[in-house]
Amino acid sequence: MKQTLFSTTLSNGIVLLGESLPGLESVAVAFHTPAGAIHDGPGRCGLATLSGEMMLRGAGGRSSRQIVEDLESAGVQWAQAVSMSHASFSGAMVARQLADALPIYADILRRPLLAEEDLENARQMVLQNLAGTEDDPAHRAILALREIHYPSPWGMPSEGRTADVEGLGLDRVREFVATHVRPRGTIIAIAGRIDWDDFVGRIDRLFGDWDPGATTTVAAGPRGPHVRHVPHDSQQTHIALAWTAPPYRSEDSYEATAALAVLGGGSSSRLFSEVRERRGLCYSVSAGYQTHRDFAMALCYSGTTAARAQETLDVMLAEIRRLPGTIQEAELERVKARAKSGLVMQQESSAARAGAIARQWYHLGTVRPLADELARYDRLSVGSIERWLATHPVGDLSVVSLGREPLEVRDAVSA
Amino acid sequence: MRFLHERLDNGLDIIAEVTDGGLSTSVGFFVRTGSRDETDDLWGASHFLEHMVFKGTADLSAEEINRRLDWMGASANAFTSEEDTVYHAAVLPSQQHEAVDLLARMMRPALRGEDFATEKLVILEEIRMYDDQPPFGADDRCRAAFFGKHPLARSVLGTVESIERLPVEAMREYHRRRYSPGNIVLAATGAIDFPALVESAKRLCGDWEPLPATERRRPPTPVAHDHIETIVRPTATLEYAVRMSAGPAGDDDDRFAAKLLAVALGDHSGSRLYWSLVDSGEAEHASCHHHDFLDAGLMITQLSCDAADVEPLLARILGIYHDAATKGIGAAEFTQARNKLAGRVVLEGERPRRRLFHVGLEWAHGGLYRSVADNLRIVEGLTEDDLRRVLDRWPLAGPGATVLAGPGAVAEPSPSGPAGA
Repeated sequence: MKQTLFSTTLSNGIVLLGESLPGLESVAVAFHTPAGAIHDGPGRCGLATLSGEMMLRGAGGRSSRQIVEDLESAGVQWAQAVSMSHASFSGAMVARQLADALPIYADILRRPLLAEEDLENARQMVLQNLAGTEDDPAHRAILALREIHYPSPWGMPSEGRTADVEGLGLDRVREFVATHVRPRGTIIAIAGRIDWDDFVGRIDRLFGDWDPGATTTVAAGPRGPHVRHVPHDSQQTHIALAWTAPPYRSEDSYEATAALAVLGGGSSSRLFSEVRERRGLCYSVSAGYQTHRDFAMALCYSGTTAARAQETLDVMLAEIRRLPGTIQEAELERVKARAKSGLVMQQESSAARAGAIARQWYHLGTVRPLADELARYDRLSVGSIERWLATHPVGDLSVVSLGREPLEVRDAVSA
Repeated sequence: MRFLHERLDNGLDIIAEVTDGGLSTSVGFFVRTGSRDETDDLWGASHFLEHMVFKGTADLSAEEINRRLDWMGASANAFTSEEDTVYHAAVLPSQQHEAVDLLARMMRPALRGEDFATEKLVILEEIRMYDDQPPFGADDRCRAAFFGKHPLARSVLGTVESIERLPVEAMREYHRRRYSPGNIVLAATGAIDFPALVESAKRLCGDWEPLPATERRRPPTPVAHDHIETIVRPTATLEYAVRMSAGPAGDDDDRFAAKLLAVALGDHSGSRLYWSLVDSGEAEHASCHHHDFLDAGLMITQLSCDAADVEPLLARILGIYHDAATKGIGAAEFTQARNKLAGRVVLEGERPRRRLFHVGLEWAHGGLYRSVADNLRIVEGLTEDDLRRVLDRWPLAGPGATVLAGPGAVAEPSPSGPAGA
């Protein structure tokens, strides 16, 4: 498949990435600044999220309301999100609206007002989201899993913690934005119906004279206990398991993700077949992969009635144990087919591609062409996955149960 | 994009929206059956049957179906609503035949007793899963209260009791009646080889027994009335409120203006509810949207906030609706909402997987096809007068059903509660 990719770096360090997707009328642009939650700091969990929210509440000559009205009047489907690594501002639109949209994003990134009178409303919004998370048991189980599995601060919830958010002051927000929302480490990605040269020119005019700022690094701290029960009065018990996997930039990440897909990546996967289809233990069960730049984890999840939760956990652990030495050629073919068609279909969405090329740059320092990615799947073999499994046994298993009763982790998968 | 249609002798409709040079192929079987077609004895059968369709045919085991779906690289799934049961797969164009072949065979499931017993456990887990999640059943209860004895009152999943007592024989009979070819649409979008699609359908579905179409029960839609009730969940953190009032039905031309009005008043960003309740951090969520059925329509308001705030915030929402009804929607506000909706139409139109549902459901419901360009023309042709008419015809602050779920703010159901304010 023909693919047209672009990249360049402005003198202040901002990386610009582009992918032309012929046949689309739309364009999607995403600004990823290195103002992620890993920089929150002790006792300030939620600072990045509160800062990201504050950045939308007035910037340049625009009020909070004008920012939203200007974006939406241009037909921009906009979004803002804070992850562990980035604060991101994005929008998808009919291509002709791009010229009107870019200056709005320049205001948000470079000239946020961060005004005292907006702080309480922004804080309340963050607190409301945290309260909503309390009512989402599956999400809470995954948050608890991340917290016990990753070293601090990578395991902290990017959404924040209520007690910390309540104590954050405007000075903290201003300092955070000034330190972390800066060109060095910022990636601006665009995909769809693009005119690359025109885009680079506009971005250079809007962001070229922005002072680069300094790079800040965060050291990994200790991690939590390996097994945790979260008491929750619900009919279902939620089970989440994690163990260490290679990060995406590691050469063997494709072997790792393929092995995980065999375990729990589709409706013919081991977990779905055994836990749901044969035993009817649950509605949802899956295995997946989450990666930061330097750490990643394999994770499994299921939610099931309390009375059948112990059996569900036991069967999940048994399937994890059974995996090495048993992968079949046909299983791998299915994994490859799913991954490859997913990659191709991503080309139908400008927003998905803008996100994908930015992620690749963050993890790899380059955009991996689609043909290269497809070739990596082609090169996977049962032998290469089995070799990887043999040299990377499941160790350091983390287990979270959320529900009325704790579960027993029997005969844990050994290192 | 080109639209093509053919009907087999047994009544099966085949439709396709073809994108030349498209990267993917989406296909789906749209069965005109859902919870509104059930009786008390069959409550939950449509959705349970949707699960059973994946459990195998006389010739295919469940494992084989799952293996084939994954092998063709499909993003495949199914869903059941009040009016439709839809089975769909998105694949690369080279897999069109394989996808149609498998889905078509699945439409004639074995419905084996032992699979039925195992899958019943999965359905019960699904019911419990939703019962543990916001809005803790408030949406189903609200629709039940709004529709009263009308068939749209029935929840899609059924209840633990209705699922436990459902016999497999009743499901087999339900399948025989409802999955007749005249009641099914085979829809496809993206890179489609239409002659090959029709050939596949003839070979795989041509011998499906045509039954006289069972007419849907379409009793008159109940007149909206005030109703309020609460579901107490002591351990919930927030209170969740759902309010339903009357809106234009699926055959009413005002449904497009109703959707635009809902964007202006209650979209998840930039709307009146957003600025008043969400931006201020008083509510976790506050939104309004329009949902249409064949013969009924709803304006649905959803709110989540601290339990102590739910009554004043619901009253404030009704005040916002009342204000819109008396003063209308301003020109700038109208333009913003219309441009936003137009942008969504274009972006959704780029994804065959999304288009499949629009194209398939539109045909299944009304035998109509509208292209992305048609939809865009409709949105861009809407005027402030259209919104004015919708505000008058379907008073948002008028009678409606309200259900609250959460730790509790209202001690006793009371007609003078938020819905009656």
